[in-house]
Amino acid sequence: MSIFDILFYLFAAAIVLSAAFVSLSRNIVHAAFSLLFTFLGIAGVYVLLSADFIAVSQILIYVGGILVLIVFGVMLTNRVTNIDIRAAIRSRIPAFIICAGLLALLIAFITQAHWIRYDEEPWKKTPWGKNAVEQVTKPLQGSVREVIDQQGSQGTAAEIGKLLMSDYMLPFELLSIVLLVALIGAAMIARQEAVQKKRPLSPSLPTEVSQ
Amino acid sequence: MSFTEEEVILDRPAFQEVPPRQKILDALMSKDTTVSLDEDALEHEMVLNMGPQHPATHGVLRVLLRLDGETVINAECELGYLHRGYEKLAENMTYHEFIPHTDRLDYISPVANNIAYVMAVEKLLKLEIPRRAQYIRVICAELARISSHLMAMGALAMDVGALTVFVWALREREKLYDIFDVVTGVRFTVSYMRIGGMAQDLEEQGIKMIRAFLDGLPEAIGEIAAMLHKNRIFIERTASIGIMPPDEALDMGWTGPNLRGSGIPADLRRDNPYLVYNELDFDVITRQECDVLARYMVRFEEIKQSAKIVRQCIDNLPNGDVWAHDAKKVLPRKGEIYSNMEELINDFMLVNFGQAAPLGEVYSGIEAAKGELGWYLISNGTGFPWRSKIRSPSFVNLQGLARILEGSMISDIVAIIGSIDPIMGEADK
Amino acid sequence: MVIEALIKIAIVLFVVLTGVSYTVLVERWVCAWVQDRIGPNRVGPLGLFQPLADVLKLLLKEDIEPLMAQKWFHWVAPVISIAVAFSVLAIVPFGHVLMLGNHAIPLTIASGINIGVLYIVALTSLGVYGITLAGWSSGSKYSLLGGLRSSAQMISYELTLGLGLLSVIMLSGSLDLNTIINSQAQGLWNVVRAPLGFLLFFVSSFAETNRQPFDLPEAEPELVGGYHTEYSSMKFALFFLAEYANIITASAVMTVLFFGGWHLPFVDQLGLSSLAMTIIGVLAFALKVIGLLFVFIWVRWTVPRFRYDQLMNLGWKVLLPLGILNIILTAFEKIYLIA
Repeated sequence: MSIFDILFYLFAAAIVLSAAFVSLSRNIVHAAFSLLFTFLGIAGVYVLLSADFIAVSQILIYVGGILVLIVFGVMLTNRVTNIDIRAAIRSRIPAFIICAGLLALLIAFITQAHWIRYDEEPWKKTPWGKNAVEQVTKPLQGSVREVIDQQGSQGTAAEIGKLLMSDYMLPFELLSIVLLVALIGAAMIARQEAVQKKRPLSPSLPTEVSQ
Repeated sequence: MSFTEEEVILDRPAFQEVPPRQKILDALMSKDTTVSLDEDALEHEMVLNMGPQHPATHGVLRVLLRLDGETVINAECELGYLHRGYEKLAENMTYHEFIPHTDRLDYISPVANNIAYVMAVEKLLKLEIPRRAQYIRVICAELARISSHLMAMGALAMDVGALTVFVWALREREKLYDIFDVVTGVRFTVSYMRIGGMAQDLEEQGIKMIRAFLDGLPEAIGEIAAMLHKNRIFIERTASIGIMPPDEALDMGWTGPNLRGSGIPADLRRDNPYLVYNELDFDVITRQECDVLARYMVRFEEIKQSAKIVRQCIDNLPNGDVWAHDAKKVLPRKGEIYSNMEELINDFMLVNFGQAAPLGEVYSGIEAAKGELGWYLISNGTGFPWRSKIRSPSFVNLQGLARILEGSMISDIVAIIGSIDPIMGEADK
Repeated sequence: MVIEALIKIAIVLFVVLTGVSYTVLVERWVCAWVQDRIGPNRVGPLGLFQPLADVLKLLLKEDIEPLMAQKWFHWVAPVISIAVAFSVLAIVPFGHVLMLGNHAIPLTIASGINIGVLYIVALTSLGVYGITLAGWSSGSKYSLLGGLRSSAQMISYELTLGLGLLSVIMLSGSLDLNTIINSQAQGLWNVVRAPLGFLLFFVSSFAETNRQPFDLPEAEPELVGGYHTEYSSMKFALFFLAEYANIITASAVMTVLFFGGWHLPFVDQLGLSSLAMTIIGVLAFALKVIGLLFVFIWVRWTVPRFRYDQLMNLGWKVLLPLGILNIILTAFEKIYLIA
């Protein structure tokens, strides 16, 4: 068992336990907070996979952005308004069906997918097209483990950037449009309220006071 | 626009108001989660209790706030946490004994309170005081005004976050304390005034110190101005908040810099001159913007005007006594008590039984730093007032606070309180 | 390798912890100087032992936990704050390579992280948890308002922080801090090449570290102490420590990104030995950090505090457009001036 394995199992345990807590806890604030550890654990696994860029993005976007808003919303609503928001269990049967379907799908993916192992040499057979891995590690020879031992990880940020600007340009731009739409929607919702509650206007606002 | 008959959908249930909380519960129960909420459904309003122990309420002012996020929906002020019953206490004291208590009202400018009180008593006793004493009283009152305004400006600056200005203002006030130390013998609670005069004459050393202070003052307030008046953060923090329209300010009974900040040039020193103010040249400062910045600027300019007044008084200080000569009303001098029988008897009578004021009632107000500080005294012919009512400007000015807090934000609250410049010792009496 | 890293961690932690406590002292001195006062000068010569006295006092204070507090969250919030504050330092290169014989030691705790800039941004985004949690778990309305303000503020200004950073990334074409320093060593410092980016980064650093004029989450006249109103003893000390550690971290990051890190111009022409060069580099780095720290302190005692809506206006309506303009300007600069 190498240190990688130990770390992996640590992270995996953190992910599984905290995820279980998220879905089982009735207190929605505690659930939101254990989601933090799920996200951090996943980031850790990404790091172990040498996917540094995704790991950092995971922290930046999920932990630093989305989760902050979730936690913020949940716990502040909870505190300010004294309305106790708790997770209720409803619609058991549809939920069960959806979850079972998802599980089946995931199992199918996991068993069907081609997983690169440490002792493989992925740069020789790239099942998902020429660009993806081949470009990243063109001059490499030997198994993944050997390459990492020899040179360490080279980082993926630059390659991801290149791919986003070349092969995956269209999805990238589409995503940005989706985000833009979401932004406009959020602004619209927020504005409705802002129009109603205006600060009282003043006669004049001097920009500078002379002595 | 009218509808044709087909377009009108009939048979709809009449509108029925559902309590917001019930609406949410209903929505949670039903599968339909799109629910429109019209009023304060999630109860986003929060009641915040600011004070009586809070760093920005200048003492023990308590303000109850109903907040929506950071915006104040309405506010309620509660006073009285520093109530010491001074008006009642005065009834059990001779007129003289109460003078030290006046120091404890507006403790930022104690000497002005002394003057306001002794002037009311002198009016009751129909006592004229010598011109030199009047000049010295004007000097003291204006120095007290400078002291108070420096504190008000500094505190306002501190409330919006500029702590340095506060310390600079305190540095200047420290010089004033030194002056009071030399002039009156006490730094803080001076009890300088006496009925019919004052404890001791203004000596040459005091005059020299006052001159030095006045010479340094423009630079000192210039520093404050340089720090704040071109600072966009300060201006945006104070402009257009806490707006008090002139008519409402009058309705609320505001006086002093607060009223003048609302554009009404009311100043007792000019409108109803007392002491020697009608002989002095000064301007009544007003500002039309009615906001926090306007009240701040009025104070800033008034410091300069006060300095001008003090300088005129010092230059034209007449010679003579600082005591009125009326053995039945004015305490005799110490040396005379020890050497003369008459004076000893008078002193004994005045100290023990007070001045036998004529029957009647009197109101006398002066333009103190915070506004009109007046005393309403009713005498029943003994040496003790039958009723002593203090018209304290801070108390009256605070009545308008709740009105101008509405619609502002939490950060504005402290600035607005600071701009009204309440001193709770005076407001709660 | 591991031992080397541990030694570096120990040294950096020691330096930063000492630095933090002395930053507090310097802050009090500078504050006193600005305000015409004397400042702390009683404990030890010139008041130099003041930090020790402060720490001792805080340690000996009773740790009060409010009745309404959420115990566990209340406890964990300062820990998050301090952990985040220190972990950014792991990748800051505080010097060039130290040569011990033939063994080269890079003067970074975690050397070889080639997405350092992203790491910084990711970790600063975690800082909000400590404050929000503290505000929420204290069970006090003032704390809650402080937490509310800080979350909104930090999320808003992270954006500007990132946009300011982008110009650095564009100019040096790398996310690696060492590469960024090297690109500055070869050309001009980034503060000259991307002044607008620096301005954006500088302003949002103030916001991210909750320093005046952006110290709304604390705002003692309004919110008493904001998120740490209900904290006492060592838990309060941790927040205090975290605030100053954050300032040091922000200064260090700014030094690396905009002031050439350990690089000093014209020193390499003196022909000194590599050891001397390294020492000069570390000293130069320390000096730049101290200079920036002074600016942080200086600003705090000079300007008033923003109001919440003004802060948001500044962040979204002024700095964000400027940030986008910054990207365009930097792109032009990169294409027409540098390449």
